Amino acid sequence: MLAPFRWLDELAGRLGRWVLGKVDTVRQISAFTLITLGVAVTQFGRAPQVVRPLIRHHLVRSGIRLLPIIAFIGSALGLLIIGQTLRLLYQVGQEDLIGSLVVTVIVRELAPLSAALVVLARVGTSTVVELGTSRALGEVEALEALGIDPIHYLVVPRVLGITVAVFALTVYLLLFALVSGWLVSVITQVPLSLDNYLAQIAQALRWQDFPLLAIKSLTLGGVGALIACYQGLARPLRLEDVPGAAARTVSESLVAFLVLDAAFLALQLLTFS
Amino acid sequence: MKDAPVIELLHAGIAREPGAEPLLSDVSWHVLAGDFWVVTGSHGTGKSALLETMAGLRPCDGGELRWFGEPVALSLAKDSGRTALRQRVGLVFEGGGRVFSQLSVAENLALPVSYHTGCSLEEALDRTAALRTTLELDRLAAAPAGRVGRAWMQRVALGRALALAPEVLLLDNPVAGLDPSQVRWWQAFLTALSAGNAVTGGKSTTLIVTADDARPWADIGRQFAEVRARSWKVVDGSADPGLSRPAVIQARG
Repeated sequence: MLAPFRWLDELAGRLGRWVLGKVDTVRQISAFTLITLGVAVTQFGRAPQVVRPLIRHHLVRSGIRLLPIIAFIGSALGLLIIGQTLRLLYQVGQEDLIGSLVVTVIVRELAPLSAALVVLARVGTSTVVELGTSRALGEVEALEALGIDPIHYLVVPRVLGITVAVFALTVYLLLFALVSGWLVSVITQVPLSLDNYLAQIAQALRWQDFPLLAIKSLTLGGVGALIACYQGLARPLRLEDVPGAAARTVSESLVAFLVLDAAFLALQLLTFS
Repeated sequence: MKDAPVIELLHAGIAREPGAEPLLSDVSWHVLAGDFWVVTGSHGTGKSALLETMAGLRPCDGGELRWFGEPVALSLAKDSGRTALRQRVGLVFEGGGRVFSQLSVAENLALPVSYHTGCSLEEALDRTAALRTTLELDRLAAAPAGRVGRAWMQRVALGRALALAPEVLLLDNPVAGLDPSQVRWWQAFLTALSAGNAVTGGKSTTLIVTADDARPWADIGRQFAEVRARSWKVVDGSADPGLSRPAVIQARG
């Protein structure tokens, strides 16, 4: 290639390698997901006395222990978005639009995404560190030597616990946001009764919102958990590789969340049109 | 007692990882019930890789691995239909035994019992209480396994492997770095295990031990082999490298 265009050739080469690397990561995470699903189905009911307490443990850790921060974030969303917008709408005489706004912004977008991000930050990263350390110290091979499938013992309980936790936290976050939004309207003396406020939200909600919200929050939770488990467990790690794996989990999960969010937006547009 | 082999390696290559250059090639080894093998060799010669291959954790680089006459696939741990076969062979890793550092000492022993028998962890803790006592682990029972001393970690790993009452026990350099009193304890315990003790209900356990130095095992082991320069040398009945028993192991470097 001519010298002036050599940089363009190098740039295209780098870009191509980057794209191929990302495609390969998606392929490997997809394969890991299928393996995990296969183990969850084929070994369903195996060693329930060990696996069920583990699921409970991860549910408590990813769900109940995060309730205070979810309450805080939900209240903040209600205060900042519902409260402020309600006041603004009242000033321009359009307070009847609050139901549509709450459903579009909070229910369909921010609640599942915020819950998934909180769980990713608090539990996803620690999951990578735990699994990565176990992998680096050879504990995974020790499980195999005892006839214990590492996916069944280490991954399935975490994925189930985190997935259900994100769904439950989404519901709680919504409740806190709705209550705090109405409280702000009371404090700022916007003349909107609780009945009217709830009736507007109920009117803006469609029946499809309920299954879509459940599917979206479960999907975000499941994908985040699978990426964390993949980064911690699926590849040979040394102890010094563990922080890098945690950082990759955050960046890959964020990208996955945004891609899934866009996919669900498209699905909502198709469903509601 | 000594009839069919309990573990067989047939023309197997031993590599550190799939695709890597083999550390040992064309290994044929027949381990019979009741054997007490001591495999010696200097650091890095492939003793650990050999033991992990025999334990079904690494694929053979060609050749075949058989347990109790059945071919062993690498996916054995994931095959819930073959857990009974998996439980017949135990492995104790070297250097602290790779204990589950998040669990307590007692839970390390109870986990495999609870997982494979379906009993609760509390019940499994009761079932393994006698084993804990035999291994002198009672006072450490509640301690996190990752925080006990290395010598005790090695005993935890031994207890964890014995909890499933395996017929064959593979031990990778179990006394490396231990003080003389600990070494004596291991020698006495493994001698009793080979003969059949209370832990095994009086049944003899087939043992394969790897070691850097044959001397601590010279009076205890019954079959000896040496790994050196990508090849085997088999010695029989003592650590004398001049005596070979090619009928038991055949390997080419």
